[in-house]
Amino acid sequence: MLKSLSRAVSTAVRISTSTMFSARALQPLTRSTLCSSNSGAIRPFSRSLWMMSHNGAASVYRPKLFSSKGFTPVSCGCGSLHTEGDKAFGNFLSDEIKEEKKIQKSNTLPKMSGGWELQQNGTEAKLIRTISGEKVTVTFNVNNSIPPKFEEEAEQAQGQKSAENEPDIVSSPNFVVEVTKQAAKHSLVFDCHYPEDEAKYIFQAIHGEGEEESDIFAIREVSFQPEGDVEWKETAYTLNTDSLDWALYDHLMDFLADRGVDNTFADELIELSTAMEHHEYIKFLEDLSGFVKCN
Amino acid sequence: MGVVLRNLQNVVPLRRARLRKDVETLRHILGIQKFDLGVICVDNRKIQRINNIYRKKNMPTDVLSFPFYEELRPGKLPCPLYRDELNLGDIFLGVEYVMKQCQQQSQDLHGILTSVTAHGICHLLGYRHETEEEWKEMLQKESYILNEFNRFTGRQLVPLTKKCSQDG
Repeated sequence: MLKSLSRAVSTAVRISTSTMFSARALQPLTRSTLCSSNSGAIRPFSRSLWMMSHNGAASVYRPKLFSSKGFTPVSCGCGSLHTEGDKAFGNFLSDEIKEEKKIQKSNTLPKMSGGWELQQNGTEAKLIRTISGEKVTVTFNVNNSIPPKFEEEAEQAQGQKSAENEPDIVSSPNFVVEVTKQAAKHSLVFDCHYPEDEAKYIFQAIHGEGEEESDIFAIREVSFQPEGDVEWKETAYTLNTDSLDWALYDHLMDFLADRGVDNTFADELIELSTAMEHHEYIKFLEDLSGFVKCN
Repeated sequence: MGVVLRNLQNVVPLRRARLRKDVETLRHILGIQKFDLGVICVDNRKIQRINNIYRKKNMPTDVLSFPFYEELRPGKLPCPLYRDELNLGDIFLGVEYVMKQCQQQSQDLHGILTSVTAHGICHLLGYRHETEEEWKEMLQKESYILNEFNRFTGRQLVPLTKKCSQDG
């Protein structure tokens, strides 16, 4: 069978254009391989294969590939593929967008206290502030910023969780703080994150509102990086806080707090990032809806 | 390990390094450097919740101590066999509560926090103030600690144990 198919494929290359668009010859692939008694079994298959790989403008007729799976194209005349599945998908997306907009807290993003200027570039945002000649820039990205909730363990511990009590989705992005002094060649860069405490979630599930015992945010790494450079300089020494002297760590945290990156900032950043992420999600759904319906 | 310091609140601007340094001085005075200690700074909401859960008092307070060793004789240091047991426990500092008191009395926040921490450490070491006798014993210990602290640092801290405001 394989040998005959491969021969059919190699034969397809030599088939002339004039015979390609004969609707009669175009058979569903599954049908052509099953109906071995059909004298056109090999040829229709090879045509189908040729048609699929051909990008000519005359390709108005698209072969039906998976008709046995309910694949029914719906034509709107735009030249794109539309299936019943796409239609259902589009309807689903419309409902989903409506629901997401209902729960959207506000159309505008929450403001950060402390005079931070916000610059957005898609999913990436920068918060910039200048204090006595020092420039502080906080950069974060809402992509991959929603931590996994340990819902399975929590639900097992608590019993069946009511669908009405689903927790709000919160975006807690990693963020990078760059502190640049005037006329300096290097910036002091802090890689920060929101610690995830698995034990906290399980404790909360068992005991109700439990006690978190992690700092609101933590510094992971500190490094001097060339000022203005986008690329991370791998050869610059990077201090990892995992095994750092705790007194030094506290000094670094105080340093950040003096520049406005403190627990208040960290809490407000979560609010901002959550709102941004939700906004981007809705926008994505809208783009997806438009793409699915008609491109 | 040493002192695990956590700041879970955003109401009071805390100087972590300063608090840690003061706590290290207290540990040195008491001779408890080899023991781990947790100091967790929380706001009124959190300390009130903990106070309610563990002491059935639904109100904020200045400090709550959770000793690792619950039956210590006052002032007798534990002699654990294993490294894991070199732990005195955790102190929750109600920094918002303390700050409000400092504002009313025009006192230095970090100074009072250090006095409060000394009080909390005494509780971890078995001191209580439920009876008159216990209160006197604890006041004596706290006075000693803070006198030594003031000698080292030139500051003028006073004991918290003036009134019995909390248990450990």
